[in-house]
Amino acid sequence: MALAFDEYGRPFIIIKEQEQKSRVRGLEAQKANINAGKTVARILRTSLGPKGMDKMLQSPDGELTITNDGATILEQMDVDNQIAKLMVELSRSQDYEIGDGTTGVVVLAGALLEQAEKLLERGIHPIRVAEGYEMASRIAVDNLEHISQKFDFSASNMESLIQTCMTTLSSKIVNRCKRSLAEIAVKAVLAVADLERKDVNLDLIKIEGKVGGKLEDTELIHGILVDKDMSHPQMPKQIVDANIAILTCPFEPPKPKTKHKVDIDTVEKFQTLREQEQKYFDDMVQQCKDVGATLVICQWGFDDEANHLLLHRNLPAVRWVGGVELELIAIATGGRIVPRFQELTPEKLGKAGIVREKSFGTTKERMLYIEQCANSKAVTIFIRGGNKMVIEETKRSIHDALCVARNLIRNNSIVYGGGSSEISCSIAVEAAADRHPGVEQYAIRSFAEALENIPMALAENSGLPSIETITAVKSQQIKENNPHCGIDCNDIGTNDMKVQNVFETLIGKQQQILLATQVVKMILKIDDVISPSEY
Amino acid sequence: MSSMMQPQIILLKEGTDTSQGKAHVIGNINACTIVADTVRTTLGPRGMDKLIHDDKGNTTISNDGATIMKLLDIVHPAAKILVDIAKSQDSEVGDGTTTVVLFAGEFLKEAKPFIEDGVHPQNLIRSFRNASTLAIRKIKELSVSIEGKSLEEKKALLAKCASTTLSSKLIGGEKEFFASMVVDSVVAIGNDDRLNLIGIKKVPGGHMRDSFIVHGVAFKKSFSYAGFEQQPKMFQNPKVLLLNIELELKSEKENAEIRLSDPLQYQSIVDAEWNIIYDKLDKCVKSGAKIILSRLAIGDLGTQYFADRDIFCAGRVMEEDLKRVSAATGGTIQTTVNNIIEEVLGMCEVFEERQVGNERFNIFSGCLSGTTATIVLRGGADQFIEEAERSLHDAIMIVRRAMKNSSVVPGGGAIDMEISRYLRHHARTIAGKSQLFINSYAKALEVIPRQLCDNAGFDATDVLNKLRQKHASSDGANFGVDVNTGGIADSFANFVWEPSVVKINAINAATEAACLILSVDETVKNPKSESAEAASGGMGGRGGAAYRGRGGRGMRRR
Repeated sequence: MALAFDEYGRPFIIIKEQEQKSRVRGLEAQKANINAGKTVARILRTSLGPKGMDKMLQSPDGELTITNDGATILEQMDVDNQIAKLMVELSRSQDYEIGDGTTGVVVLAGALLEQAEKLLERGIHPIRVAEGYEMASRIAVDNLEHISQKFDFSASNMESLIQTCMTTLSSKIVNRCKRSLAEIAVKAVLAVADLERKDVNLDLIKIEGKVGGKLEDTELIHGILVDKDMSHPQMPKQIVDANIAILTCPFEPPKPKTKHKVDIDTVEKFQTLREQEQKYFDDMVQQCKDVGATLVICQWGFDDEANHLLLHRNLPAVRWVGGVELELIAIATGGRIVPRFQELTPEKLGKAGIVREKSFGTTKERMLYIEQCANSKAVTIFIRGGNKMVIEETKRSIHDALCVARNLIRNNSIVYGGGSSEISCSIAVEAAADRHPGVEQYAIRSFAEALENIPMALAENSGLPSIETITAVKSQQIKENNPHCGIDCNDIGTNDMKVQNVFETLIGKQQQILLATQVVKMILKIDDVISPSEY
Repeated sequence: MSSMMQPQIILLKEGTDTSQGKAHVIGNINACTIVADTVRTTLGPRGMDKLIHDDKGNTTISNDGATIMKLLDIVHPAAKILVDIAKSQDSEVGDGTTTVVLFAGEFLKEAKPFIEDGVHPQNLIRSFRNASTLAIRKIKELSVSIEGKSLEEKKALLAKCASTTLSSKLIGGEKEFFASMVVDSVVAIGNDDRLNLIGIKKVPGGHMRDSFIVHGVAFKKSFSYAGFEQQPKMFQNPKVLLLNIELELKSEKENAEIRLSDPLQYQSIVDAEWNIIYDKLDKCVKSGAKIILSRLAIGDLGTQYFADRDIFCAGRVMEEDLKRVSAATGGTIQTTVNNIIEEVLGMCEVFEERQVGNERFNIFSGCLSGTTATIVLRGGADQFIEEAERSLHDAIMIVRRAMKNSSVVPGGGAIDMEISRYLRHHARTIAGKSQLFINSYAKALEVIPRQLCDNAGFDATDVLNKLRQKHASSDGANFGVDVNTGGIADSFANFVWEPSVVKINAINAATEAACLILSVDETVKNPKSESAEAASGGMGGRGGAAYRGRGGRGMRRR
């Protein structure tokens, strides 16, 4: 930290451990911050779009992740710089709110910072720049609203939903079978959606993955998939019209929670104790049988004795099912979770059309399918894939697609993708800039330029001559007054995104612009960084 | 000579650091000026933020004077006083924390040449005190009361005050939006003194425009057990039961032990325990409440029991949230489930669980007594929301002060210029030294408009001259800096308003601090205890570190 001296040349000690703190202020601080932000954006830039590349990240304990999801990349990078952390949070909050577009938002923020740097060099006050950006972002958001289109969908007509999800999936590694995955995602969301309240609880969609098989084998199960098998190998593998007892108590004699001791001093007493224990087991199984349960799902385990007894009494059982899964099973089958055997009643049993155990390939691993449930409000997406990394990445991609479908159910406005909406906004912002008096005009114009950065990155990543493509598309948009022209990343032959069916959600795009502006504004406002110089 | 032979008289403990005299006063002044310089750039709508990164890795981005001062971790004894006045301004008024530090710094800076010229500090102090009394009287005279207006009108006026405060913050871009939110929430809690009735919840994600206010209570879904999803998530006019007990199957006494000699009795013990918990749960259900909240855990058994009976429950609710629910719904927190009577149950119009960003929120709205409000803040990054919360806190405080003490003064440096003019005018009527001192006090007050210009990148001298000219004319009292154009404008007409209490408190506190620092002519600093010495000695062999522990300035002098 810069030392201050008084008249006598003695240094002041004002701040604790002053010498160990570093301080950057003024333009220097702003430049350093901008640089940090830009660096982060540059890393993500190549991941944008359908031809974007993936990143391989290795965690400290050697775990590998391959992804092109912006939020995941940044999360795993474990950045240290404060400003870079802000960018990470930026993409995370896009992830929380929208679930998709996490790369785009960082690239946009990086572009805005880059433009801001130029303006600062010209001597424009950082706050004026920030304010100009703020105005520009409002123009852009309004423009998006203007060019957006609404479309109708229903449980039977979900083509447009699928198209939008496909746009999201096209940039991922799974784009090979994006059609089928998009269909799965849309069906899953529609199954759990509350169309009247426009609310989707994504917790009700379970995503399971298992190594092996092909990506094409990924399926949507209208029911629950549990990574467990029957407690005894000789129990039936398939139960039709199952009545399921969902228990949170173990198959063992109940224990009082208070510390207790049973004094055994005679052989008779021991005998009674033994008999009683056995009677407990017997009673428990009997109670289940009495209410008509044909399958027991238990949160806890039970020992071999109970297991044997269950087999003996012909009552199939599953043990060690986790709390979350138990809850999902209860919701799906319309059953109630029962904490005590005495509480079991026929009404509390869950109903499922078919419960079957399925084994995979040559492995001994088995999974339990609970299907045709009374209430289909809980579904499972079961992902197959060649290796663990593909499955993990597919999970993330499906999550993005689910979020997109959910957003569309909340708000059914869409804009066209492929950079077309950014170019359209850029044109609108640029036109507005000329009308604005004051220094902010420069900032607004820079904002327009920064918006072009996204189609530019798309073109670059697709191997197209970026500048030529952008200029061509831009002039076409103005000439034909058609805001649907974008970058033809897949070389289909037309750059009208309406024809190509490349959609993105309106709220996702608006959010991107607003969030990026917000964070850039925050970074620009900092003119003083005080930090410990060494760790 | 005999004095040569005399042994040195050791008065103070070894290592004690003393410094005194004129040089000491000047040294203190310099230290304070440096501190004031640090926060200088955060003033006003074009003020910048500071990013402070402490050793523990926490990062704060802030524009709030008090927060910055606190995080700077100042050790200089005189400069610490500035931290204290910033804090006191924060707790007293809630806003104007940068202003108060700037004032104090500027008063001291103006005093410095006089001290150097050999003026006795006490003379300065007396004049400064006089000047501050005069200034405060003048502020009171100039302030405009908003008392006696209708509620609607008053709300609009309060919103103006709030937006003036917010304009200097990160959320300045949406100041109207937040100002009305703040006013709504303050009006909701009315004259209640408990500030914690306004809850501020932070949810990362979304744009700040997605923030919303709940006339009631909102809190994040607490940890839930299996069975929770089967509970209904929406109620109309539910009754609310608030508890402070555990609803879990557990031993009733920690260190009790049961001895059984007859194995047949075993079941009865088990049943007894179950009966206790079932009895509790049953009483909750019988009370007629549809929503059960507890500060302590509600176990999986309870969760499922309530789910079976279509009751919503949430355990481990934060205490403050529970209190707020209690205030909002009119229910009282129970520590037992026995004898739950109708009166202790709360009521609200609508309860629902709603998705906010990535979180699920329990929202009670349309509450009966309506004395609570919760603001749910959204924003792109954690630091952003943190700063937004601090800003809203300032605004809330301001609105509360303005409600109680409803008079306002024009902001934008207008009031400061006017007082400065008045004091300068007054000084001319005084004979003697005091004239000079009051004049310099008046000059120091100009620091606010000057800094506003500097931060906005305008020519301060030019703007100040315009302002002085305007204020000298008869109708220019309300003119202040116009940060948008770089000229001057009528702050009052532009609705740049501050509650007068902010200014009064700032001038008071700053003058007090300045006088305090001026009156100190000796500092005696005891050495740190042995262990602290050893610890600090171990930290690096650099010169700085060696004298750091002892408060270096005195060391150098000897």
